Amino acid sequence: MKLIFEYDQQPTGHVEQIQAQLDLPKELKRENLPLPNVNEIDVVRHYTKLSKKNFGIDNNLYPLGSCTMKYNPKVSEELARLKGFASIHPHSPVKYSQGSLEVVWELQEALKEITGMDDVSIQPAAGSQCELLGIMIAKRHFEDKNEKRTKVIIPDSSHGTNPASVAMCKLDTITVRSDARGNMDFNEVKKQIGPDVALVMVTNPNTLGLYEENLLEIKDLAHKNGTLMYCDGANMNALLGISRPKEQGFDMMHLNLHKTFATPHGGGGPGAGALAVRSFLSDYLPVPRITKENDLFNLDYKKEKSVGKVHSFYGHFGILVRALCYIRIWGNQIRNVSESAVLNANYLFAKIRNHYHVPYDRRCAHEFVVSAKNIPNGGTVDIAKRILDYGFHPPTIYFPLIVEEALMIEPTETESKETLDKYAEVLVKIAAELREKPEIVKEAPHTEPSRLDEVKAARQPNLRWSPQ
Amino acid sequence: MTERRFTQDHEWVELSGDVATVGISNFAQDQLGDIVSIEFPEINSKFKQKDAMAIVDSVKASSDIYCPMDGTVIEVNEKLEEHPELINKSPYDEGWILKLNVSNIAQFDNLMTQEQYEKFVGENKG
Amino acid sequence: MNYIPHTKEDITQMLKEIGASSVDELIGDFKPRITSPLKLPEPMNEMQLVSYLSGLAEKNKIFKYFVGGGAYDHYSPAVVDHLIKRGEFMTSYTPYQPEASQGMLQAMYEFQSFICLLTGMDVSNASLYDGASALAEAVLLSSSYTKKRQVFVDDGLNPNYYEVLKTYCNGSDLEFTNKIDENTCCVISQNPDFYGNIKDLRPLVEKAHSNKALFITCINEPTSLALLKPPREYGSDIVVGEGQSFGIPLSYGGPYLGFLAVKKFLLKKIPGRIVGMTEDKSGNKGFVLTLQAREQYIRRERATSNITTNQALLALAATIYLATVGRKGLVDVAKNSYYKAHLLAEKLQKNGFEVLNEKYFYNEFCVKTPRPASEIFSQLLEQKIVGGLVVDDNRMIVCCTEKNSTADIDSYMEALK
Repeated sequence: MKLIFEYDQQPTGHVEQIQAQLDLPKELKRENLPLPNVNEIDVVRHYTKLSKKNFGIDNNLYPLGSCTMKYNPKVSEELARLKGFASIHPHSPVKYSQGSLEVVWELQEALKEITGMDDVSIQPAAGSQCELLGIMIAKRHFEDKNEKRTKVIIPDSSHGTNPASVAMCKLDTITVRSDARGNMDFNEVKKQIGPDVALVMVTNPNTLGLYEENLLEIKDLAHKNGTLMYCDGANMNALLGISRPKEQGFDMMHLNLHKTFATPHGGGGPGAGALAVRSFLSDYLPVPRITKENDLFNLDYKKEKSVGKVHSFYGHFGILVRALCYIRIWGNQIRNVSESAVLNANYLFAKIRNHYHVPYDRRCAHEFVVSAKNIPNGGTVDIAKRILDYGFHPPTIYFPLIVEEALMIEPTETESKETLDKYAEVLVKIAAELREKPEIVKEAPHTEPSRLDEVKAARQPNLRWSPQ
Repeated sequence: MTERRFTQDHEWVELSGDVATVGISNFAQDQLGDIVSIEFPEINSKFKQKDAMAIVDSVKASSDIYCPMDGTVIEVNEKLEEHPELINKSPYDEGWILKLNVSNIAQFDNLMTQEQYEKFVGENKG
Repeated sequence: MNYIPHTKEDITQMLKEIGASSVDELIGDFKPRITSPLKLPEPMNEMQLVSYLSGLAEKNKIFKYFVGGGAYDHYSPAVVDHLIKRGEFMTSYTPYQPEASQGMLQAMYEFQSFICLLTGMDVSNASLYDGASALAEAVLLSSSYTKKRQVFVDDGLNPNYYEVLKTYCNGSDLEFTNKIDENTCCVISQNPDFYGNIKDLRPLVEKAHSNKALFITCINEPTSLALLKPPREYGSDIVVGEGQSFGIPLSYGGPYLGFLAVKKFLLKKIPGRIVGMTEDKSGNKGFVLTLQAREQYIRRERATSNITTNQALLALAATIYLATVGRKGLVDVAKNSYYKAHLLAEKLQKNGFEVLNEKYFYNEFCVKTPRPASEIFSQLLEQKIVGGLVVDDNRMIVCCTEKNSTADIDSYMEALK
């Protein structure tokens, strides 16, 4: 295993060399630059080799719950790379950037229609940044109304970003437990709701893969108390064309464009977030806003009530192009995406449910959670590692925290019945292996390297290469 | 040094005059798994019983350590910065976490004895 | 165009296995339901989609850029895009299963290393959203570490960065101050600054440290690090910035690449993902995400940051860029950018413009225009040149990179006649 720093060659040389003298004093100048020089062919071989040690949706099924690992259309990659989109400078005058502005406008309009909300900002770089923005907007809204509200109610099944975002805004989280059916417990919410609660943050369907059955009652309770409803839209893949969060009673919601709208996950990013709000919160959205007048687009910075900016320019434009491509591909038939996502999840669930423990005996939405707690001789982590031996990617494990030995599985709509059958076979086989010959599971994956010492990595951190 | 007493959150306390030495129980370190780092409170910071005062991280989890008795932090076990594994290896001895100057000695009497704590852990293991 | 592979028979069989008669039954009682198709256009096939988006792309006019201000028009070798397009990289997720992600994990380790080598710092994370949010995260880190709440910002910070910082600080109850004293948690300076000035920050660092404040250097144009003293050497505790110059397309402002690097003592506090090297029980070396207990999915409300995604694919692009150009190539890019900027500055100075920079600048400089700046700007625009960033009635910030040839510079001067 070679690091790129271990090469010492003649680089290929891609730009003009200038024999220029720098007129800089010694105290400002660098003395040495310890970077490697690598020839282009070896750069290609080095990173090609690395790519073969990696696994993507393009390799095989990757059913991570709440991540929506659906097929990323290649045409979107080509279109995002069109010179007009890829090479335009963010300081390009508005007059010559009409194409970009139209892309953003059209995307915003489509997201308004999909969510039912009145206004959208696509400036946030990710879902978690949307949450931060949403909480800031709620804070400002209540300040303007002279109401002091310092609390946010979240379910115990929430993504970790929800309480982290609340803490970043110096508010307090109140966690309410889920009931026996996996819903947010209405009575618990009732106990906690009050004039000091700013927001109720709900993921719907929730991270158990279940549609929230008490949503409308919770919404009524919140609104009666002047509390706002925020929807964490990570699971929007179960709702496209089926139900609109605005009509479910939400005042604000975010979408993860890299989940529902098929932009590539890129090994951890870049993603993009969209924050959609009802009109009474529009004025708080980040600047600039995009305006349209007589077919001409413009950028409006004059919004005094705006909470500010969360991105140095306009957001992740390159990702927005890809999201628009995806929405245009499906158009008014986008409901098929969610219907098939729900079908695929329920099918895979049906095929394996007799071999695992089912914490909530309900139809699932676009993902489902099972537990390995009833399987002897091993745990969820062993099952996950053994799945790798069979050439698939494991599901999300140990989340949500409220289910012991959890496996959260989201196949998405782009998987065929044949692939789902194969995955089900693997999951069933491994459960049997744990009963009959557990060592082969405990020693999985049979790769090199195999299970890595994470304790050593944390106790003796080696986080970078250093020159000798 | 008095005997060791325990809280319901699995901290242990040993008193020597006004100074309480605090750590976490063997049960707690086992539950947490391999500990990789610890976040200490500031010296001279004051805490009330049950306040979160330190954080212990394992590879996959993060846990608060709660104050067992009202007091002021006077010393932390700096060795744990480089060797957090001492908490796992020797939770009652070398893995001590911090020392408090306690303000309400009577609180010690309401903590669980070793026997009571072992029973408590046994009952709650389910 | 249909990415859903099911046939009608598949659907029938699947419903049968589930024991339901329709997908609608699976959704059950969930309310409220949409009863008619969404008011979106008809679906497009690939040809139609290409035609539609191409039409939009053509409405953007790409001119010759002599502008920076947080985004730089550098040349990205073809090899960069070629390699990041590999499906194993592009369509993978965050490397939570390290055995299936050694490729991306090693690349992130290399990225972290490159950032440390360039900045002189001890430790870097695997990227943040952009330079502006990286700066905001550095400030939150400083406040958490020092337990103080006042933030000092040196003159010359990119105004967009200041806006983002303001937004984060308002949300977190942090305040801006115009003096450095015992209440200051951090001192921020951009270098080279928004006007292009290269600054000797040693006195400011000294002032910060004597007040027990952390010093944050913010870098918009990191190719400057090929020539300039690494911030560690003048005492920075934290270095943040924007990695877009390293092979990432301009793309109308995003997605870009934030970086954050610190001295060792701040390691446990830094936000974002970090990759570490370790071994398996047979001694084979490998990489894992490490120190994960800092992050939101474990710390939840005790996390100092809520950050989730990093800019992994762009960190990969930057890593490949730096590997491809190498030490020699990066110095060439920097020298070229420096030289072209100074050449243009000299010509402008001889033609009625006044270069306002105090002393030294890298590839951006600020000029006082002989006529209203907006007029000069429009004149250049007519010749398809974006001549700079107009900052007020008679000032413009001009930028050059290796992509601005001497012929381009001549055209710039011609256009002013």
